[in-house]
Amino acid sequence: MSGSRDLLHLAWIIPALPLFGAAFLLLFGKRIGEPVSGWIATALMALAFVWSCVMLMALLDLPMEMRASVLNTNALWSWMPAGALHVDMGTFADPLSITWALLVTGVGTLIHLYSIGYMHGDERYSRFFAYLNLFAASMLILVLGSNFLVTFLGWEGVGLCSYLLISFWFERNSAAVAGKKAFVTNRVGDVGFLLAMFLIFASYGTLNYSAVGPGAHAVSSGTATAIALLLLLAACGKSAQIPLHLWLPDAMEGPTPVSALIHAATMVTAGVFVLCRAHPFLDVSDAGTVVAWVGGITALLAGTVAILQPDIKRALAYSTVSQLGYMFLAVGIHAYAAAVFMVLCHAFYKGCLFLGSGSVIHGNHDVQDMRVMGGFKKYMPYTAFAMVVAWLAIAGVPPLSGFFSKDEIISQAFLRDEYALWVVAILAAAFTAVYMTRLIFLTFYGNERFRVADGPNGAAAGHEALPVISGGSDDDIAVLDHAADAGEVDPDSDPSPTVAYGDPVPEPNGHPPHEAPGLMVLPVMVLAFLAAVAGILNLPFSSMEWLNKFLEPSFRGVPDVKPDSFAQGFGLEMLTFAIAACGIFFAYKLYKKGLEHADRDPLDVKLGGLAHVFGNAYYYDHGISKLVGGPGRAVASWLDRVVDTKVIDGAVNGVGGFFKLLSRGVQEIQDGHVRRYAMGIAIGTVGILLYVVLWIGR
Amino acid sequence: MIAAIAPITTPSVNWLAIAPEVTIGITAVLVVLARALLRRRPEVTPVAYAITAIGIITAAVLLVVQWNDVQDHGPTRTMAGMVRLDGFGVFLGIVVLIATTMAILVAVAYLRREDLEVPEYLALMLFSAMGMLTMTTANDLIVVFIALEILSIPLYVLAAFDRNRLRSQEAGIKYFVLGAFSSAIFLYGIALVYGATGTTSISGIAIFLRGNVLFEQGTLVAGIALLLVGLGFKVAAVPFHMWTPDVYQGAPSPVTAFMASATKAAGFAALLRVFGVAFLNYRTDWQPIVWALAALTLVVGSIGMLLQVDLKRLLAYSSIAHAGYVLMALQTASPRGREAALFYLFVYTFMVVGSFAIVTVLSMKGDDDHSIAGLKGLAFRRPVLGTLLVLFMLGQAGIPLTGGFIAKLEVFEATANAGEYVLLAIGAVATVIAAFGYLRVAMSVASSPEDEDPVAEGIVHRKVDVATWLVLAVCGGMTLALGITPSVFVHWARDATLLGAHVLTVVL
Amino acid sequence: MTVGEFPILSAIIAVPIIGAIICMLTPSNRPEIAKAVGYAATMLNLGLCAWLLWEFQAGVGSFQFVETQKWIPTMGINYTVGVDGISIFMVAITGLLFPLGLLASEKYIEHRVKAYIAWFLFLEGAIMGIFLSLDLIAFFVFWELVLVPMYFLIQGWGSEQRNFAAMKFFIYTAAGSAFLLASTVALAFLHQRATGVLTFDYRVLAAWNGLSGTTELVLFLGFMIAFAIKAPLFPFHTWLPLVHTEAPTAGSVVLAGVIIKMGAYGFIRFSFELFPQASVDMAPIMLVLAVIGIIYGAVVAAMQTDLKRVIAYSSVAHMGFVILGIFSLSVIGIDGAAFTMLSHPLTTGALFLVIGMLYERRHTREIAAYRGIWKSAPVLGGLFLIAIFAGIGLPGFSGFVGEFLSLLGTFVYDKPYAIVATLGVILAAVYGLWAFQRAFTGKPSGENATMKDINFRELVVVVPLLALSLFLGLYPKPALDRIEPSVKERVANLEKKSDYRQPKPSGIVKKIQQSSEAGK
Repeated sequence: MSGSRDLLHLAWIIPALPLFGAAFLLLFGKRIGEPVSGWIATALMALAFVWSCVMLMALLDLPMEMRASVLNTNALWSWMPAGALHVDMGTFADPLSITWALLVTGVGTLIHLYSIGYMHGDERYSRFFAYLNLFAASMLILVLGSNFLVTFLGWEGVGLCSYLLISFWFERNSAAVAGKKAFVTNRVGDVGFLLAMFLIFASYGTLNYSAVGPGAHAVSSGTATAIALLLLLAACGKSAQIPLHLWLPDAMEGPTPVSALIHAATMVTAGVFVLCRAHPFLDVSDAGTVVAWVGGITALLAGTVAILQPDIKRALAYSTVSQLGYMFLAVGIHAYAAAVFMVLCHAFYKGCLFLGSGSVIHGNHDVQDMRVMGGFKKYMPYTAFAMVVAWLAIAGVPPLSGFFSKDEIISQAFLRDEYALWVVAILAAAFTAVYMTRLIFLTFYGNERFRVADGPNGAAAGHEALPVISGGSDDDIAVLDHAADAGEVDPDSDPSPTVAYGDPVPEPNGHPPHEAPGLMVLPVMVLAFLAAVAGILNLPFSSMEWLNKFLEPSFRGVPDVKPDSFAQGFGLEMLTFAIAACGIFFAYKLYKKGLEHADRDPLDVKLGGLAHVFGNAYYYDHGISKLVGGPGRAVASWLDRVVDTKVIDGAVNGVGGFFKLLSRGVQEIQDGHVRRYAMGIAIGTVGILLYVVLWIGR
Repeated sequence: MIAAIAPITTPSVNWLAIAPEVTIGITAVLVVLARALLRRRPEVTPVAYAITAIGIITAAVLLVVQWNDVQDHGPTRTMAGMVRLDGFGVFLGIVVLIATTMAILVAVAYLRREDLEVPEYLALMLFSAMGMLTMTTANDLIVVFIALEILSIPLYVLAAFDRNRLRSQEAGIKYFVLGAFSSAIFLYGIALVYGATGTTSISGIAIFLRGNVLFEQGTLVAGIALLLVGLGFKVAAVPFHMWTPDVYQGAPSPVTAFMASATKAAGFAALLRVFGVAFLNYRTDWQPIVWALAALTLVVGSIGMLLQVDLKRLLAYSSIAHAGYVLMALQTASPRGREAALFYLFVYTFMVVGSFAIVTVLSMKGDDDHSIAGLKGLAFRRPVLGTLLVLFMLGQAGIPLTGGFIAKLEVFEATANAGEYVLLAIGAVATVIAAFGYLRVAMSVASSPEDEDPVAEGIVHRKVDVATWLVLAVCGGMTLALGITPSVFVHWARDATLLGAHVLTVVL
Repeated sequence: MTVGEFPILSAIIAVPIIGAIICMLTPSNRPEIAKAVGYAATMLNLGLCAWLLWEFQAGVGSFQFVETQKWIPTMGINYTVGVDGISIFMVAITGLLFPLGLLASEKYIEHRVKAYIAWFLFLEGAIMGIFLSLDLIAFFVFWELVLVPMYFLIQGWGSEQRNFAAMKFFIYTAAGSAFLLASTVALAFLHQRATGVLTFDYRVLAAWNGLSGTTELVLFLGFMIAFAIKAPLFPFHTWLPLVHTEAPTAGSVVLAGVIIKMGAYGFIRFSFELFPQASVDMAPIMLVLAVIGIIYGAVVAAMQTDLKRVIAYSSVAHMGFVILGIFSLSVIGIDGAAFTMLSHPLTTGALFLVIGMLYERRHTREIAAYRGIWKSAPVLGGLFLIAIFAGIGLPGFSGFVGEFLSLLGTFVYDKPYAIVATLGVILAAVYGLWAFQRAFTGKPSGENATMKDINFRELVVVVPLLALSLFLGLYPKPALDRIEPSVKERVANLEKKSDYRQPKPSGIVKKIQQSSEAGK
């Protein structure tokens, strides 16, 4: 048993493997080149996965109460010894972290595998895999860290990698901007994380996780609330929750595997992880309500936005935001295990969907506008099959994973008497069903809108370049540089393929799509399978809630709520399913034939004015960019041009000028006339004498 | 009052006490004689130089003897207390002699270049020097006045010595008129003081003021004020400074060097002695006045430098500013202050003579162009001259590792010691303002030269004679030495003042 | 081999100055000799610094390797040098930056190589003197001396406005020094009046605590102006961007690396010790200025169109963090400040070096002139990006450690300052990434498309700095172990001599430990 604990102390190997890969590929990747570097990276990820499994075994070998014990921490070296602060660079292996490690390495490996095919022929092939490895490593450091600071190291590392990967095709201005936007937005969250750490240290004198559990009860609930809310801010940044969600749809500028890695497996779930890690603060404070509502509202609003996106990846992006909302909702109502369960399932089906969409775009000559797709089932059957499975899963059709995971959360909301949240969750579920169904039908079924009106022979017309993007992507430009980048119209930077709501329908390119190579299909299939069966991890039968049991040590002291009766539980489940079914049916009615006019979306027509609000994501992003790009920028340049140059430096130079003025005065008195000089002497003398007289006077 | 008039008896004379003055005077006379005898023969020049050399060396030796004598037996008074031989006087005497010597050395090449009469020049220099030496040991207001005149009148002539230059003539006239004016005020001051105290002997006054309380101090203080004006004019204290820029610019460069160094030293010799000894008991009365003068002099002098385009004019203002620092020291009316003043004058002599030596070299025949812009690229055309000029500028700006810094530090220490923190701050700020002026010169020197600039190109082929090199070497060396290992010199200054400070305790 | 009797500190000061003199004596038409001398001197000094680091005892707070020589006894002035945890790393980093700066100048300086190297060496000696002097006058001497070589370096080898920049630098900073000198002298004589001893010895004056409240405050302000201008603390910063843009690359590196640290160093070394109560009373004002500097510097940096100006303003922000940490008056905060003073030269140095390389290629620093050069010069771009991220405080690089500790210390001392200052983290990302995006991303065209990537010499110049930054970011312990004892001593002294008591983080930690013990 102690042997297995010693084994757990080797958890650091998990991040070490991809970290080594990253370093190695950054240094020698160019020489190794394609495809070897890809395989190296993938192999290292696979190894990391294997090692995670070993860790899991070791963990299971421990008795229940020891699985989350302090003794599972292993301090590699003392990181920041300063004053009362003692932070170790160390790992903490407990069910929570190991679960995440398995998820990251497992799905990560599949994504790496997929990328080998997807990035084929890219000029920075090796560098891409270096980034991927670094990303995975950071994420693993994040989850395995033994204290908040180490987690923050991974946290920022993830941010860095998302920047590098999103703007991977930096020749494209929109990509560079999107990457920066992601990082800056995340930084807003990081401020929350930093302040939370300060507050934790100020009130605890340590940053170790081992201290959080017992500590939470020792501080005033006010402090606990503050810490929890600050961490929520951080989580909102990483997990793209309102109000910091705006970076995520733009992140679609990155290569598709990146989207999968960022959205499905890793980055966005970091927020959920940290909140789970810090759950004692939520337990002892009322911050949970806020978390839950942030999640609920995000889930709902993102759902409404997703239903109208013409861009397949943007639709999925908003879907992700919405699904994450569920997880936050779960965390907020203290149903942490449910949240983790959702994270796992979501990773599978959303990963599948993203990689699938990647295949679709890849097969469809880099066009990602669903309005010119349709009927792809015929051309890419495997991808279609996989995505259909994932669709049913996310929509919540039993017995697929999504059904269980989502239902778990919805029923928990009900059982914990959060009826308002429960209603929100159900509505969101309906929206989920709608937009996913729409996506699937627009892509794989209905009329083949990629064909040019007068038959395939008119394809020549299609050769004219990819859709030229209008204002849309400019509006999304990130903090501060709105004007600048909108101003820089540079002909030589490639247009972004991303399509925003309201963009004109591109010329159909006339070519039928083709199935992706096996290397890309395989991971998609695997994920589809997992998406289908993952439900068994945590079946809603008291004896089969394996995940809940496994995670229990990490969530010690959190009350677990069970349905009063089987009937109640079953009822709730059926209700969830019913809602989903309605959503699916509704969307099916609308889209079973695809679109007869590519530029007229029936749902759009139905919603009328509301459609623009939804489609443009409530103009939130536009608003921010306008605000930052307009007034914000104005203030900044006022500070620069007026305050700094004129006022402050002006004052400095003014002093100099003042003395020069005096100097000129001194010179002018010197007019070369003796009489004046004599006068000077006289005046001086008289002056002194006057002083003397006055002095005598007193 | 009446009692003060004493029956005339020939006083005992300690010849050593007046030996240097006498020697220099004799030398001057001999030079004139040589001129008279040899007329326009070519040998006259070397002969004159030879005589001068011998005279100066003798005087130097005598000064050293004096110094040792003072070190051993303390200060002595002679000629009915008219002359007082003490460390203070000897120290300044040495300074004066050094300044004179260097001024003459610099003049050698200059006189040849401008073909002016050497003997007359030398004679005048020597007469003036004699006056200065007298000034350093004068222990009676009358003697002070006589010394003042002896040193001034030759200077008037010297200022106007370059008959080829109108500017020079003008300078002479201005200097003369204003000088006469100030002398008159000075004389009036003496009268008032005499009226109040019944004596003109400096130590006499001191003792009188220690022993008696005046019913009405008006006369005395007014007298003090007028003396201050008279001497303030010589040391170019604001607002009695206005002649300085014109005269310094107009006078032949070597003469200017002489004025800026030796005359200042002599002037301050009188100031320090009269105010530090005679009126020590009344310092509370005159300190505020000197305080104001010092502040004014510092500020105006420094500010005046900023926009000057003419190097000599700039140096004129700088010399005014430097007078301000010495006044700061004087204002403290303390031994430490006197020490600082002495050291400052000692250091300044080298920096200023060095600067003017370079000016002399650089100025074309006619000695008319001293524009700072003309220095452009000097550091590349004449690296040694350029470097030295920059060194002298940094030194006067008070940059560390030059004597200028230590000297200012001394003055600041004295001021702080006297608790005059405001004046201290003013002095500190003044250094910064002045630094701008000095840096403008340094910048011009160090900036890369424009090609085909005939004036500047001319500099490349300018011959610099041995004498000037010697002066430059000494000045440069001392400027650095005084900055890096100042201890020994500071010691001398201290000894000088310690012995000078005994004045009141010495039996009269 | 041990230091023993060898006067290593004096050697560290003397070697470059002697080198400068030798350099002056080499024939002008043989620049390679001058170069050889330059490299020899700087490398030798680097060796000495390494030796010093090696010999330096960790865990000792007091001064080590102290030497004293009489200089002007009559004026109470001695030459006293010594090193402690706070100065040792400034010395070390100075020793590291100079050889690199010289190497970076290889191509940049074609004309008057000899003079350039001589001034450069002289500068190193002067800077070393500042960090090592323990006598206030000696300190001031070096403090002023730094201006001279810097002035001639800017004026002789700078860009278009070099004359103005050199003059402004000299006069502005000298203006501060004037007050420094005045206060120093005043302090010494107040001490003499009280104790009868005239001395400028830092340790003696620091031990004395006889100043009255107002006097102390006035003198503190005198010192503060000098240090604030050098630091540069908002609103005394405007000389920095100007000088940076005009100075040659090596000049910028040294300026950003060590010269602006002189101010912060002065605060830690002198203000605390000599004027404890005043430091405590003034802390809020200093904190406010620091916070303004952090935010303001970052915002203005974002608006710059000249790469060097961007980094210059970012330095203002970074020095804000340093001042913040210092006047948090907490051990952690001052640790952070001292550590930032060590780490900032690494990142900013690297940035200026890379900018210098860009300048050598394209002869402009205008961001607008560059575009997409990450494509044509991937390694150069990569290094610049790393330096940017290291500079904006990405965990894993040294910048973060210092920033984090400064903020943490401040937070414990007084929350609002830390909260506002933390927002600077966002703005840092904005100016850093935006500058990178504008210059390095997009599609290169024309000269940008054909730009040469980094060559070996340049690699040698930049990589050590970034590697060191990464190392110190992941393992700052060696540095902190040496810094902290001295900092502890400062703070203890502060508590002894003022009414200030350091805030302690709540004792819950003990409870937790106990409970976790129980957990086992």
